[in-house]
Amino acid sequence: MTTRTTGRTYKLGIDVGGTFTDLFLWTSGGEVRSFKALSTPRDPSVGVLDGIALIARALSLTPAELARCITTIVHGTTVTTNATLTRRGARTGLLTTRGVRDALEMRRGIREDQYDNHLRNVEPLVPRYLRRPVAGRLDWRGEELEGLDLAGVEEAVTLFREEGVTAVAICFMNAFANPVHERAAAEVVRRALPSAFVSVSSEVLPAIRFYNRVSTTALDAFVGPVLRDYLRALTSRLAEAGFSGSLLIMQSSGGVALPDATARRPAGTLLSGPAAAPRAAAAYAGEAGFADCLVVDMGGTSFDASLVRDGQVELKPEGDIARLRIALPMLDIVTIGAGGGSIGRVDSGGLLRMGPESAGADPGPACYGRGGPLPTCTDANVVLGYLDPTYFAGGEMRLHPDRARAMIAEHVGGPLGLDVERAAVGMYRVINANMAHGVREITVKRGVDPREFPMVVAGGAGALHGCAIASELDIPVVLVPPVASVLCAAGMLLTDQQHDFVRSCVTRLSDLPAERLEALVREMADQGETQLRRADVPADRIEHCVLLDLRYVKQYHEVTVPVAREAVRAGNYAQMLSAFHREHDRLYGYELSAEGTGVELINVRVRSVGRTDKPALPKIAAGPPDPGGALKRHRRAFVPERDRFEELPVYDGHRLQAGNAIAGPALIERTDTTILVSADYAAHIDGFGTCVVRRKAS
Amino acid sequence: MSEQPIDTVLVSILGRALRAITDEMSICMERSSRSPILCEARDFVTGLYDAEGRMLEQTENLPILSFSLSPVCQHIARKFAGEVYPGDVFFHNDVFSFGNQNNDLAAFKPIFLGETLLGWAACKGHQADIGGAVRGGYNPGAKEVWQEAIRIPAVKVYERGKLRRDVWDLIFANIRLPIVQEDMRAEIGSCTVGDRRLRALVEKHGLERFEAHKRALFDSTRRLMEAEIRTIPSGTYRGESTVYYDGHHPGSKHKIRVTITVDGGHVRFDYAGTDPQTEGFVNGTYASTASATILTFLQMVNPAIPHNHGMVEPIEIVIPEGTLLNAAYPAATTFGNHLCPPNADAIIRALAPVIPTRVTAGWNQLLCSLSTGRDTRKDDTYVDILFMGLKGGSGAAADCDGYDHIGMIDASGGVLDQDYEMFEQMTPHRIVSHEYLVDSAGAGKHRGGLGVETRYVVGGAGDTQLVTFGDGDVEPAFGLFGGGQGTLNFIELRTPDGRISRTTTKDHIRDVPAGTLYVQQAGGGGGYGPPQERPAETVAREVRDGIVSVEAARGQYRVALDPVTIAVDGPQTARLRGGES
Repeated sequence: MTTRTTGRTYKLGIDVGGTFTDLFLWTSGGEVRSFKALSTPRDPSVGVLDGIALIARALSLTPAELARCITTIVHGTTVTTNATLTRRGARTGLLTTRGVRDALEMRRGIREDQYDNHLRNVEPLVPRYLRRPVAGRLDWRGEELEGLDLAGVEEAVTLFREEGVTAVAICFMNAFANPVHERAAAEVVRRALPSAFVSVSSEVLPAIRFYNRVSTTALDAFVGPVLRDYLRALTSRLAEAGFSGSLLIMQSSGGVALPDATARRPAGTLLSGPAAAPRAAAAYAGEAGFADCLVVDMGGTSFDASLVRDGQVELKPEGDIARLRIALPMLDIVTIGAGGGSIGRVDSGGLLRMGPESAGADPGPACYGRGGPLPTCTDANVVLGYLDPTYFAGGEMRLHPDRARAMIAEHVGGPLGLDVERAAVGMYRVINANMAHGVREITVKRGVDPREFPMVVAGGAGALHGCAIASELDIPVVLVPPVASVLCAAGMLLTDQQHDFVRSCVTRLSDLPAERLEALVREMADQGETQLRRADVPADRIEHCVLLDLRYVKQYHEVTVPVAREAVRAGNYAQMLSAFHREHDRLYGYELSAEGTGVELINVRVRSVGRTDKPALPKIAAGPPDPGGALKRHRRAFVPERDRFEELPVYDGHRLQAGNAIAGPALIERTDTTILVSADYAAHIDGFGTCVVRRKAS
Repeated sequence: MSEQPIDTVLVSILGRALRAITDEMSICMERSSRSPILCEARDFVTGLYDAEGRMLEQTENLPILSFSLSPVCQHIARKFAGEVYPGDVFFHNDVFSFGNQNNDLAAFKPIFLGETLLGWAACKGHQADIGGAVRGGYNPGAKEVWQEAIRIPAVKVYERGKLRRDVWDLIFANIRLPIVQEDMRAEIGSCTVGDRRLRALVEKHGLERFEAHKRALFDSTRRLMEAEIRTIPSGTYRGESTVYYDGHHPGSKHKIRVTITVDGGHVRFDYAGTDPQTEGFVNGTYASTASATILTFLQMVNPAIPHNHGMVEPIEIVIPEGTLLNAAYPAATTFGNHLCPPNADAIIRALAPVIPTRVTAGWNQLLCSLSTGRDTRKDDTYVDILFMGLKGGSGAAADCDGYDHIGMIDASGGVLDQDYEMFEQMTPHRIVSHEYLVDSAGAGKHRGGLGVETRYVVGGAGDTQLVTFGDGDVEPAFGLFGGGQGTLNFIELRTPDGRISRTTTKDHIRDVPAGTLYVQQAGGGGGYGPPQERPAETVAREVRDGIVSVEAARGQYRVALDPVTIAVDGPQTARLRGGES
């Protein structure tokens, strides 16, 4: 049996979305292939294993044969994100300092829109009666003013047990300066509630600012059991299947980490879903000659948009998920509820709306024929002639256009007095406008003009909508990479292992002995080194970046400044200070080096990066401008610019060659995605198989 | 000038891009300033104005400060006509030339494209000190402006990029805390970022194209506002409210009266009939009152309207001079911003019968305290406004409960609590508690927002000064359409010798001993609709969470609960509620 697989090893990127589980396979020979399996929301690991079985079948291997030859799996999961958005996380209790139990819910008293009197506050993750105050107090320096009331902790734990609490967050005042009370309380909880997931603020985020810490710790606890159970199920299923390589989990910061490290810090995955896509988009856009790009990823349930500049998406030190503060590093990505599964309906005011509700994978769009009772974006795309019912997922899945038509007629056409086709046109337009709005969020709203960037379109459903979004926003170029339908999964194999650490150290920088700074950095770097070595990263591939959170004396907020590891070793404060002054001026319009104002250190951060082997993007064969060799047939489909149906040429995307040129309107079909080159656009295929779609010169 | 074709997409991009710039200016200020009033609570605004000083866009963390920047900018443009150069910076705080409050010291920076004046960037924040008789700026005993502050009537502090050291020194020689210099540097930095960004934006599109699209933006915004006003039935509506205690005459009462005339797409607020100005500092300035009027009205229209010149064009505001809301020179006026809550009450009462689904019940009135002293741990002075303590609840609306712990209506949740740990780093005080206040919300089908109780132990060396300013200890937030009222405000000091005393709402207490327990309650907002219509299960959940008592559930909501399990007693509740009708 081994003979059939001799010599070949594989790397696999697996991205579990709300509707599809995307898989991207890289073989040691340099070939790549992508696959899609239906997601299984009740236990997403089932879908992962279905996907592996699907690949095995395509390679004529048994799943066990395939699993044994996989050296690395990089996996992105949205189980924590979904648990937070749907409030289906663990029943969580909070132990906190007496007197401040409402900080979690108060959110410092913010109402995000001052002029909207109908905006409500967010439901807290932990209801008030499960936020239990405990006596015991540390002062501003972490010195004990009052001992921890252990009996009070026991009492709270008793209540937690009675109330079926399965996760406990612990966050005490000033614990950033001294974890002693939190550790003592955690010990009691772990002993008395051994099955509970425990998140301790001084471990999750040992940095000053109580609200940031309590919010992040509560999120961590709330999603902890969900992620732990999921990763357990996944690792055991993979082991049963014969996999013994390394499994890495995608993080919100754009890096990856081992499952046990991930399970210990579950909040680090909360915004990890879309975090790998920009990496792959940047790689393909770079090959097409663009250093910067917009990335839009339209899956079954959600639409993610981000802005890549100089090959990177900006990393934010903190952000929010559903208006809840999470103070951990994350990529700047905007997500809205729009996807192939987005449900169309007519509201009470007679307006057509698309999403944010999604039909998901089960029952899915009406055209899946699984009893989906409502019309979706995918159903509209079938009616508009964009999707071939016999060639969906390369023919793996047969679509039922009659079901799509029936549901659109009943829920959209009827109420609006439109025939089925016009109703589908309306659905297509509305969802395009929604997605254009998502792109505005990361561009126009930040003062960036989207017309200056090419837009990389990804996700199974994205390429049918790319031209429409582009014309809405006047974007001149749309890029559809060959891996468009599985961009996140592909990006995962281009991602480095990364661990972020932070320690608070509040002092005048000039007063800090160089050995102390070096010791702090080394302590974190050693921790990173250990984690990376445990993941078999060789020493020469490991790098530790040092970042200092600095501010002028009496400022409240810090500027995070990267400093050279060498400068830390040498105690070269002059170099660190001049980097700080420069960055302060760039950000805030002034600096105070001439005034001789003192500079304070607040936090020391270390980012430990383990560089992974990144496979080169494969090239495709070159051909003539004429794409005639790939023409499959003609099909009746809707042309948005002309507002009518026409017979469009349909090309086989897998037979297109580098240099082929296709004038719109036309459709390009691949097994995993269909591209609409709309009437005002023309496409050509570049050397890496990217379909470069440009607006025609008018 | 050649006719510029209007690209409607560019108009909306410009509108958003301007807001992105003022947001970035706001982040600069929030992240680089020193005083917790600015960097923790965000008591400042940033804005961009055109060459004539008309509003292009603003980021209004504290809206009460916002709508005086454009009039001041126009004032500076007139006063310095022909003498404005690239690299200039102006300061201004004067309440008798369109400033709203002495402490709100603004920086203005002209923006040039080559030699052409393109517009202005401005940043204005509440400074930790502004001279005058009392550290921190609030002087309840003041009867004239000079007892409150140094007047800065538009002066140039930088000319062509060069610091005018003499002017700078004159200003800061009259302000106690060095931190204010640093925070004005932060304001200038924020303007510099605004300058860089606006210039880049205009360079990209060209000046003529920018100007044409700016006018189109003003026009479309004005039309939007007019359309919003048209949704209110035309007519004349009157409302009034009471301000309690002027700081000099215990028990004094002062009436605010407003007449609102809606005529098609135009609305006029006329304050004729408002009581005369007071002897002390409980007086509004034209700017503070006009800001209060605009921000209250903005909460009754589509919140997505862009904030530029076009937005304010259809709004006319008449405030007779010499009244409580527009005191004549040289009156003391530092309290003027805090006349916004009672002013809002008068406007809400006038419009509630006409647009019942767009107003809220009454909001908790502001009661605030400011502490200053020496932090012996660091041998340094500090000034802190206790924002976390002042934030009570908002009024409920037709479709939702009031917002808990949001704070006064003039900030509407834009001003934030200090982070507790930062508070303990930056002041010598120690927090004992900061929690929702049980039964503080006005009962109703929709309840008011919850108030809070704050306790801290005063630190320092016995020289701590406390200044209080506010209202809400006589009249609680009112309910609407059958909703109940909120609770009252108070501040209480429990000194180590066992004495307990309540402050007045305009007070100045010197030498507060270390170890004193400071206790403050900020009340809840008013309820909307009859409390008996609130679902019993919702009431039970709030009892379980400890924000409504079993007694209030029964007495106000007429919900009977098992005192141990907190389960709703259905039959008894039905009897209680049925008996009502």
